[in-house]
Amino acid sequence: MSRGSELTTGPIPVGQFVNLVRNTLRNDKIFQNQVITGEITQWKQYPNGHTYFTLRDSDGQISAVIWKGRCHIDPIIEEGSVVVVIANLDLYAKAGKIQLVVNKIEPVNKLGLLEEQKKLLIEALRNEGLLDRPRMTLPMIPKHIAIITGTGSAALADMNRLIENRWPGLRRTIIGVTVQGENAPNEIVRAILAAGKLSNPTIAMKLDLPPVDLIIVGRGGGAPEDLWAFNLEPVVRAIIASNIPVVSAVGHESDLLVSDLVADIRASTPSNAIERCVPEYDYQQQLSIHFSERLDEATNRLFLDWRNRIQLIQSRLLNAPLKGVYNANQHISNLSSRLSNAVIGKFSNARKKLQFLCNTMQLSMQKSLANETTKLAVIESSLNSAHPRNVLERGYSMITDGTGELVSKTKDLAKGQQVILALSDGSAKATIDEIKKIGENNE
Amino acid sequence: MSEEMNYSKAIERLEEIVQALERGGIPLDETLKLYDEGAKLLDFCQQELASAEGKLNEMRLSDIEMKLSE
Repeated sequence: MSRGSELTTGPIPVGQFVNLVRNTLRNDKIFQNQVITGEITQWKQYPNGHTYFTLRDSDGQISAVIWKGRCHIDPIIEEGSVVVVIANLDLYAKAGKIQLVVNKIEPVNKLGLLEEQKKLLIEALRNEGLLDRPRMTLPMIPKHIAIITGTGSAALADMNRLIENRWPGLRRTIIGVTVQGENAPNEIVRAILAAGKLSNPTIAMKLDLPPVDLIIVGRGGGAPEDLWAFNLEPVVRAIIASNIPVVSAVGHESDLLVSDLVADIRASTPSNAIERCVPEYDYQQQLSIHFSERLDEATNRLFLDWRNRIQLIQSRLLNAPLKGVYNANQHISNLSSRLSNAVIGKFSNARKKLQFLCNTMQLSMQKSLANETTKLAVIESSLNSAHPRNVLERGYSMITDGTGELVSKTKDLAKGQQVILALSDGSAKATIDEIKKIGENNE
Repeated sequence: MSEEMNYSKAIERLEEIVQALERGGIPLDETLKLYDEGAKLLDFCQQELASAEGKLNEMRLSDIEMKLSE
């Protein structure tokens, strides 16, 4: 536009300027017969036969027109279709609008067609009852996780980092695959099969590993087409066929894939998969300690109860006025002190020690305790029947002299002597009037 | 301990045992038996926790397939 000399003659009318631009565009080969791809929006077919639409993608958009009869329009093309057009760039002077004049349009058919296939697959799986089949439960502590994801991907780095935070050194095998593109479905299926083989105890043992007990298959977020492998039948069927639980961990929260519908667990993201499958080591340790403490405390309390019961029996024995129980009493006392020693002092926190003591006690004490309890019962009942009070109950009385000595012979008595009669419910004072020995005459 | 014992079952049983002991009123020999079982379960849990540790293997699909076909 070398019109420097004309500038002095006055301004250019706008129409003239726009047409100048239009001619420049039309004459530049770079803008003619370009092959361009994008998604269709604002698709409008007018009664006059012309079709207007906007071709767009995430980075830009441009208006386009297909003049009546210029080319064949596939009837499946609609709003949202992805198409390839061959078009010239033009400027519609009346509106000052740049647009593509389309000479040829073809549906790429990608997403639309894929979505259709996805729907059909879901429908087929539903009909086979595979969507609501019972799911496997995850191991509470996975001993060997197989993670199938992109080699060196950000998703893998995230998962590894999270695992190390939750359970440092948790055993895992990463199977690196291609997660998008043509090879992805095949590689993912093969990786699921390989993980399945590793879940076989015999095969795992050969490799000196515990069997795989959980599979996480996934990848980070991306465009729908990039995640598409997880919507494909071979991958989905491989997940269903797995003998061990499979977690589907694909893309972001909002991405719902067919793999999510059939997996044993649907994780919203790869990180979420780790949060749901990998317990926190510290928490599990604390749980263990918590149970250990409760076990010790409760058992201690029960032992104390037993000791108290034994002490009760012992004190009853001590109060019994017969010498014959001395040995039994000694035995009980011995048992009681052993229990006290065992229970109170030595092992309030040492579970192992308690167990050892318990075992020893179990061997020796339990047996003798049972014996003693039987013995005690016999002793108690003979004590009861032998107690003087029981004799008095039967109508006898017991005589003691002034010093409290028991009087059982007539020779211990003198006429006029004061004695005390012990009866079953009290005592009485009496004076001796007459003494008669068995066999003596009344005189 | 049965063969199908696993960590979550062990935790469940531990809870039962501890609750029974905490309720009390159990004969002495039963107390000892429960304590013994509880101690064994705790050992089992500790072993389980330890056995989850191992090394990280990172392999390409083709490598692992080769290893499995050996």
